[in-house]
Amino acid sequence: MGLGKFLIKRTIQGVIVIWGVVTITFFLRFLTPGDPVSALTPPDAGPEVRERMAENLGLNDPIHIQYADYITDLLMLDLGTSMRTGRSASIMILARLPATLELALAATIISMIIAIPLGVISARRRHQKSDYAATMFSLLGISTPNFWLGIMLIILVAVVVGPIPTGGRDVSFWEATVMLFLEANPRGFGNWAIHIFLPAITLGTYFTALLTRLTRSGMLEELGKTYVEATRAKGLPETLVLYKHVLRNTLIPIITVLGLQLGTLIGGAVITEEVFSWPGIGSFLIQQIAYRDWVLIQGILIVIGVGFVVINIIVDAMYAKLNPKVVTE
Amino acid sequence: MVREAGTDETRRSFLKFAGAATATAVVAGCLGEDDDEDDTPATDDDEDGTPAADEDVDIDEVTVTQGSVTDTLDPIDHNDTPTWNILDQAYEPLVYRDRDGELISLVATEFERTDDLVVELELRDDVVFHNGEDMTAEDAAFSINRTNDPDQSQQAGVIGAIDEAEAVDDTTVEITLESAEPAIFRNLSAFGRIQQESWVEERDDDELATEINGTGPYELVDFEEGSHVDYERFDDYWGDEPAVVEARFDGTGDDGARVASLQGGDSDIITDVAVEQISEIQGDDDVRIEGEPSIRCLFLVMPNNDGPFDSHEFRQAMNYAVDVDSIIESLLNGFGEPTSQPTLEGMFGYNPDVDPYPHDPEEAESLVAESGYEDEEITIVTPTGRYLADTDIAAQCASDIDSLDNVSASHDEWETQELFDVTDTGTMEDSPDIFLIGWGNPTFDGAYAMNPWFMEGPFWHFESEEMEDLLTQAADEPDEDAREDLLMQANELAHDEAAWVFLNQQYSIYGASEDIAWEARNDEDILLKEIFAAE
Repeated sequence: MGLGKFLIKRTIQGVIVIWGVVTITFFLRFLTPGDPVSALTPPDAGPEVRERMAENLGLNDPIHIQYADYITDLLMLDLGTSMRTGRSASIMILARLPATLELALAATIISMIIAIPLGVISARRRHQKSDYAATMFSLLGISTPNFWLGIMLIILVAVVVGPIPTGGRDVSFWEATVMLFLEANPRGFGNWAIHIFLPAITLGTYFTALLTRLTRSGMLEELGKTYVEATRAKGLPETLVLYKHVLRNTLIPIITVLGLQLGTLIGGAVITEEVFSWPGIGSFLIQQIAYRDWVLIQGILIVIGVGFVVINIIVDAMYAKLNPKVVTE
Repeated sequence: MVREAGTDETRRSFLKFAGAATATAVVAGCLGEDDDEDDTPATDDDEDGTPAADEDVDIDEVTVTQGSVTDTLDPIDHNDTPTWNILDQAYEPLVYRDRDGELISLVATEFERTDDLVVELELRDDVVFHNGEDMTAEDAAFSINRTNDPDQSQQAGVIGAIDEAEAVDDTTVEITLESAEPAIFRNLSAFGRIQQESWVEERDDDELATEINGTGPYELVDFEEGSHVDYERFDDYWGDEPAVVEARFDGTGDDGARVASLQGGDSDIITDVAVEQISEIQGDDDVRIEGEPSIRCLFLVMPNNDGPFDSHEFRQAMNYAVDVDSIIESLLNGFGEPTSQPTLEGMFGYNPDVDPYPHDPEEAESLVAESGYEDEEITIVTPTGRYLADTDIAAQCASDIDSLDNVSASHDEWETQELFDVTDTGTMEDSPDIFLIGWGNPTFDGAYAMNPWFMEGPFWHFESEEMEDLLTQAADEPDEDAREDLLMQANELAHDEAAWVFLNQQYSIYGASEDIAWEARNDEDILLKEIFAAE
C-alpha cells in the first residue's frame, strides 16, 4: 500500500469518527437536564410563548427529523444558528478558534524547547544529579493540576514580580504579525507574547513533563543499541551522535504523542483559558453550557473533534514518512 | 492603572487611538433636580474606607473584571448582571434609579400616568446616538416594543404588561398597557435600552451582537468576544462628561484570578469576591473591599402543596430553627443582613413593622410537635456556586434544623441549572420539598419579589387565597399609597404564614483599587460615570 492509499484509508476512518462525534453530541442533548426553551424565554413567559419558541427552534420536530436536518446542514458546513443570539454558530466559533490554536501551539512549542534537551541530558547523564532533577521535574509536572499552577503563576510571576499581565489577550497572533511585518511595529508582538506566556507555560507543563520522560526513555533504549557504538567508533562527536542519530530514532514515538497531545490541548485548554481569561473555545464552551445553547455546544464539540482527527491524520502521515514500514503493514 | 489623562502611555494606547472627550452637557436630574449628590462618592474618606474623589482629574483608563464577558452586545439578548454592566455604559434606559432606588430621569425628563392604562414620557431633545444622529421619540418607542417582543427579546414579560409604545410627537412617547401595571416606571428603569430604529433595521443579528450605537456616555472602541469590551468617552454625550477616558470590561470565571488581577494592577474593580478572599484583599494596602447590600435575598422555598410544608406551624418552625445571624457572621464574614419578608428594606412595599424570626430552637420543636409532623426527614436542595456561599448556607440550615429533637435534616447539592429546570415549571410537584434560591429585584418593587412566587405562573410555590387576593388587588391599584399598603400587607402575610424560610440579603462584594473613588451600588450596577480619581 502506497502513502496515498494509506492516507485515504486514514481519512475515511477520520470521517467515520467525526460522524460518531456528531451523532453522540446530537443525542447527548436529549440525555442531559436543561430545557433550552426555559433558558431563552423570560422568567414569566406563558405556555404560548414557550411553545412558539420551541417551534421556531425546531424542537417540536421528531428527533430523527432534527437529526437529518442537522446532518444536512453540517454537510453544507453550516453549524446552525445560536439559539440565544440568533447569530451564525460557525462565525462565533471560528472567532474563538484562533485563540485556542495559538495557545495550544505555543504550549507545544514551549514544551518541545524545554522537554527534548532535558530528556536528552537526563538520558545522557543517567543516575547523575541532572537526571534526578529532570525526573523530579517530570514527576512534579505530571502531578500538578492546571488550575493550581495557573493561579500560582499569576500570583508569583504576574502579581509579585510583574510586569506580565495576569490574564487576557489584547491582540491576536495574526494582528501582531501584521503589525510586525506591515507596520514594522514589534510592540504588538511583544504584547501578544507577554499575554500568552503564562497560559502557555500552564497548559504546557504536563506535556513538558510527559515529553521529557518519553525522550529520556526513548534515548536510553536507543543508546543501548549497537549502531550507537558504531557511530562513536567512527569518531563522530558525541553531540552529533546524540542529536543526529539517537534522537532521530527516538522521534517516532515523540511525534505520535505530540500529535495526540496537541489534539488534547485544543480540547483540554478549558481550565487554563478560564483562569487566564483567554478567549478560546474552551472558555466559550463553558459559557454556552451555562446558557444551554445546544447549537453552539454541539458546534464547539464538533470543531474539537474535527481538529483532533485532522491532527491525527497529519501525525500518521509524518509517522509514515519517518517509518515507511507502517504504510506497508 | 489609574493615571492622569495624557501623562503616560496606556497599555492599549499604542494599539488604539483614543479621542479625549471634551463634551459638555446638562446634568442628569431627577425631574429637574440635580442628583449628583447621590452618585458622586464623598469628598472625604467615608466610613467604609472609600477614598475621597478628585472630580477635576481625568482617569486615563479603568479596567473592570467580572466573572464573564458577554458574547453579545445586543441589549435584548440577555438578562444577566455582567452583561448589563457592560452595555449600560453605552445604552441607556428612559428612566433610572438613584442609589436609594428612587426613580430619576435619564433620557426621559418627565414621566406620568395619563390614564389607567396609558403612561407618557417626555424625552430630552438633545440626545444623540454614537453615530451622530439625533434620538427621536420614534426610536424610543421602537426600543420599548423591541424589548417587549417575546420572539426576539429575553426581557419581554419582565418589562411589564405593555401593549404597545408609540411616538406622539418628536419628544413624547406614549405606552399603552394591558393592565394597570403600577410598577411600569420601575420596570422601565431596568429594561428597555434605547436603540436607533433605522440602525437596528439595517443590521442582521450578527452585526447587532457585535456593534453598539447607543446614547450613553461611552462608545465602543473594540469588542473581542470572550475577551474584552473597550470603550472611550463619547464626545457628544448629553450629560456630564465622566472622569474616566477609556475603559475595558474583561472577565474571568476564576475567583482567585480576579483577585490576582486586582492585586497585580490589571484591574481596578473586580466583582464577586469570594468570602474566603475578603481578608486577602483587606490585607493589601493598594486595594480595598467594597461591600453593599444587593437587591438579592436568599430564602428556602417550601412548596405548601404537600406535607410537612402544608403545615403553617411546621413552616414557622423551620424559620425559628435556622440561626440566620450566625450564618451571616460565620459564613459570610458579616456581609449580609437578616430578612423578615420577601421585599427588601428600601424597596417599594417593604413593611418596617415585620421583624426577622428569632433563633429559638425550643419554639421550633414545640411548633413541629403542634404541626403533627414529628420525626420528619427533610433534605434541603441547593444550587452550587450560584449565590454567595450557597452550599455552606444550605448545609448550616440543615444542621440547625437537624439539631431539633423532632426533625432530621440534610442537604443535597444540585447543579444549578438542574434545580432551575424543575422549579420554573409552574407545578409544585416538580420541585424538591424544600430548596434554597436567591431572587434579585432590579425593579425595587415588592410585586416583583412576590408575584412570581405567590401567584400562578412558572415560579408558583405558595398557594394562599388571601395572598393571591392581596397581590391581585395591588396589581390593579393605580394609587401608589393604596398599592404600597397592599404590598406591605402581603409582606406581613408572607412572614406570618412563613411562606419561606427567610435567610439573608446577599451582599455584592467587590474589590477596588485605592486609586479610584468608587462606591458599589445596591442594584449591582457598575457605571463608569460614577468612577472618579482618588484624592
